[in-house]
Amino acid sequence: MRLEKCFFCSSTVYPGHGIMFVRNDAKQFRFCRSKCHKNFKMKRNPRKVKWTKAFRTAAGKEMTVDASLEFEKRRNIPVRYDRELMATTLKAMKRIQEIKAKRERVFMKKRLQGKKAQEKKEALKLVSTNIELIKTPALKQRLLEKKIIGGTPKSKDVEMA
Amino acid sequence: MLLLKSFAKVIDNSGALVVEVINVMGGSRVASLGDEVVCVVKKARPVSGEGSSNAVSKLKKGDVARALVVRTVQPVRRLDGTFVKFDDNAVVMLSKQGTPLGNRVLGVIANETRQKRWAKIVSLAPKVV
Repeated sequence: MRLEKCFFCSSTVYPGHGIMFVRNDAKQFRFCRSKCHKNFKMKRNPRKVKWTKAFRTAAGKEMTVDASLEFEKRRNIPVRYDRELMATTLKAMKRIQEIKAKRERVFMKKRLQGKKAQEKKEALKLVSTNIELIKTPALKQRLLEKKIIGGTPKSKDVEMA
Repeated sequence: MLLLKSFAKVIDNSGALVVEVINVMGGSRVASLGDEVVCVVKKARPVSGEGSSNAVSKLKKGDVARALVVRTVQPVRRLDGTFVKFDDNAVVMLSKQGTPLGNRVLGVIANETRQKRWAKIVSLAPKVV
């Protein structure tokens, strides 16, 4: 039994799941669930829908070039059953999964590297531009001490007046 | 799912283009993939003068003939639990003996037609899904 990939979200379609649509030119579209089928009927482009694999790979959100991704592929060459080979394959599958998960973790870490600093910078900018919104005097004092706020809030009032 | 009064496309060179179902063979109310129906030709290919192409355009408007359902829009369950659906409802015209009237089948047909009786049609089809 073959595990096909969903046309829309690229997830695995297990036997007994989903629906297959055959266009008149004999192209087959497999869908993992009605959500994907409905989206297809709405003529949505999977590359433009954010939750699909197609979008995530196109937008650089997921690891695309890696040797660990090369194993899972459609091969049209029949392989004669061999118990030894089967055993080693099963063992290899587990190991490859581990390696893949590890590499994906590293990739995600790398992708989100400057995220925290960026968020902090933006938050500070928001505070410094909208200082009048901070009501607690103690907090204001602390911010002044840390030189997060440039001028005194009074000067801003003067400028405005 | 074809029932009484359903219209279907004809995908062979029997001469008919569109048919209307007037009876489903085998006592069932609805016809699914691989079922036989009786239909009346609603629209036929215009007859081109001489009888040069005798095999083509056997049927004309108003003729009653049998047909085999080869594609349905209604999803049909396969034995592995998946459902298959097609773009349109399509039939292949048959003679009273159950042999195809045309000598060509144009377009994809469903795997459900692959039975002993319809081996001829399956072999004529360019693609069986």
